[in-house]
Amino acid sequence: MTGVIFNMKTEKKIAVMKMMNGNEAVARGAFEAGVKVASGFPGTPSTEVMDYTQHRYPGIYCEWSTNEKVGLEVAIGASFAGYRSMAIMKTVGLHVAADALGGAAGSQINGGLVLVVGDDVGRIAGDDYNDVRHYGNMFNIPVLEPSDSQEAKDLMIKAFEISEEYSTPVILKITSVICKTTSRVIIDEDYTYEAKCRTKYPVSFSKVIMTTMMMNAKGSEHPKLTKCFNDFPAHMKRLAEDSNTFEINKLELKDKKIGVITAGTPYFYVTEVLPEASILKLGLVMPLPEKMIRELAKHVDKLYVIEDGHDIMEKNIKDLGISVIGKDLFPKFPEMMRFTPDIIEEKLVPNAPKRTLMDGIPFRLPVSCAGCSHLFISQILRKNKIKAAADVTCGLIGCFPHMESYSLQKCMGSSIALAHGYNVATDHKEKFVAMIGDGGFWATGINGLMNLIFNDSQSTVIIVDNSCLAMTGGQSVASSEFGFNYKPENKLEIAKVCEAIGVKDIVTVDAYEYDNLEKTILTAVNANTNSVVIVKKPCVTKFKLPKSTPFYIDQDFCTKCRKCINIGCLAIESKKAKDGTVEIVINEDLCMGCGLCSTACKFEAIKS
Amino acid sequence: MQDTGKNIIIAGLGGQGILLFSNLLSKYYMNLGYELKISDVIGLGQRGGGVESHFRYSKNPVLSPFIKAGDVDFLLSFEQTETLRYLHCLKEDGVVFSSTFELATSSVNTRLEKDMPESKTELIKQSGKKTFIINPDENKSSEFDISKMMNIVMLAFYAEFRAYSHDDMIQIVKENVPEKFVAGNLKAYEKGISIARAQLGELVNNY
Repeated sequence: MTGVIFNMKTEKKIAVMKMMNGNEAVARGAFEAGVKVASGFPGTPSTEVMDYTQHRYPGIYCEWSTNEKVGLEVAIGASFAGYRSMAIMKTVGLHVAADALGGAAGSQINGGLVLVVGDDVGRIAGDDYNDVRHYGNMFNIPVLEPSDSQEAKDLMIKAFEISEEYSTPVILKITSVICKTTSRVIIDEDYTYEAKCRTKYPVSFSKVIMTTMMMNAKGSEHPKLTKCFNDFPAHMKRLAEDSNTFEINKLELKDKKIGVITAGTPYFYVTEVLPEASILKLGLVMPLPEKMIRELAKHVDKLYVIEDGHDIMEKNIKDLGISVIGKDLFPKFPEMMRFTPDIIEEKLVPNAPKRTLMDGIPFRLPVSCAGCSHLFISQILRKNKIKAAADVTCGLIGCFPHMESYSLQKCMGSSIALAHGYNVATDHKEKFVAMIGDGGFWATGINGLMNLIFNDSQSTVIIVDNSCLAMTGGQSVASSEFGFNYKPENKLEIAKVCEAIGVKDIVTVDAYEYDNLEKTILTAVNANTNSVVIVKKPCVTKFKLPKSTPFYIDQDFCTKCRKCINIGCLAIESKKAKDGTVEIVINEDLCMGCGLCSTACKFEAIKS
Repeated sequence: MQDTGKNIIIAGLGGQGILLFSNLLSKYYMNLGYELKISDVIGLGQRGGGVESHFRYSKNPVLSPFIKAGDVDFLLSFEQTETLRYLHCLKEDGVVFSSTFELATSSVNTRLEKDMPESKTELIKQSGKKTFIINPDENKSSEFDISKMMNIVMLAFYAEFRAYSHDDMIQIVKENVPEKFVAGNLKAYEKGISIARAQLGELVNNY
């Protein structure tokens, strides 16, 4: 549904209002900025920026790259060619791409280069305590942060202007709240897309080359030397100065008692809870507009900083010699937090009512979908007491205490090298197994596999091939049979790649063939050679696999030993029966009929 | 009395169609010219995790995407453990609409913690708020799968409670649901109206 805005004189339609979430609005902003290339890697909460861009704006070249570093490098190359480019990832992904960002920071920028980075503030989707603004400080590059969908679109366009004007990559920080909040955006429906080419610089080099030029050729005006040099500190100084007059930074001087410096969605929490407060609302959170901050500091008795995530603005403001109240009043646990209007009200509004959650409501740990192939692997590893490392994949749910299938789990793509390290340290006396998803394998896990082979490791790797990146909603990977740029002849085969890398023993099994899968894993683990077991089953949720007849538990046979519950299937529940006793039951609406639970039951109570 | 706006929390589990529910409801309010902010909080995992949607419509600009505890007018919940999680967020005169559907949590299933001894339905009824309980098991139908379409049943119930135009709401459902599900959803909608009428009776609509 849209609202239409007309020009009163000409009665011509000039704009329409649409409901968009932050991810949609960023995609729209990219379109209106004339972006030519979008690359990146899926990651909650910002995955849908790419999905919307690809779906709605066919003029923009889109790709899911093999990982975030590759994605950013693609965008950097496109930017050097003169076209506006964006790289999309989450902050955890930017850690992977940090080397590429360091290379681009401070270098000559032709077409604007913007990184759209999703911060999972408050761990809404279960992410780690990351804050992308640290990269702004570390690499001395600007960071913009929108407060709603309208700003998400507008700041996207501004980010490209800043990138080109000040020759710098720019980070647009979006959060789980921005990405998943829908609000009105005014757009020009008749906007004509145009990707302009801007080739200002004939070369673009990393700072290593530039600083070497600066040191060795100081004062030289020879064009062969000067073209290699870009005075990046001067650009950032100029941006910091100019930011005092940017419209995206708004100073609202009102009440003299309380002043707040804020950005992102916390701006709206502040305006709702403290309608009289004087506010400096930043759209550009890095570098800071020093003059505006000093003006507000002079105007008010008490100055607060209210920022989601780490205490980055607070530290940067204190570095300017301006005293502000931040984490002393709003402690960060352990080092970051997501603000809510309630938190601000509790601390800054006298006599605010306190409301507390009812006691004893059971919590929910993440659970795998019923019928997920990961459940089969978790079950076999646990049952046979095989020590294993999990990766970042839906299978990591097997690490949680209701499943206890894995003893080691770190970052995306890590499990192969983790297992190898363990096996090297323990002289291969016990075989520590690596489990990895197809997404993690292609992202960076493949490096672990190459490393494992040429360093003569005897480790076993289980690759769970569910034909997509399931955890982020089913995006394509190199071995998928779909994707933005998919062609059957370009599909990579996991087994063939493993063979080419030099893996000695490679077996492919269907996850639902339980006995065969168990036998294959045990054979691989017990053999004195390196091996890969590829477990195939398309993601039940992404590909909407057809259900088989649901299983049920015959209560006359059930001894409540709970072996079936320990599988971790969403469909198996421990419930109070009408007579008050506890029953183990299968929810027939959720059951996929995969039968895994029946293999765990020694009493033949689980029937089809 | 003109409705200047309300704060609604929609709660439940991944896979229950909560995002579709809030999307359909948003179209209704958009048509009436309201400002809206809808914020979805989605946990880890594709299925079975907690989902909450903060839904605010107003004649004035909506500021915070999150509703402060104590400011919620309506709590619409598709799972009764989740209902309990938001009861304290309701205003004094807030109203609860809750399904009796319950999915045991992983922590209770694996005995990491004990379940609450009381009946959750009773706890909701005793919250001191005006409460409407919808039991999907008592309303099963051969014409549609209530385990999948409780969102549409709830939409109809809410529309009846608010005395909204069912024709307008049905039109929105038709326009926004995949064609192969339209017939089933319309049956679910009819069911929702009949459940609501049975419970609301002669209740005067003050909202």
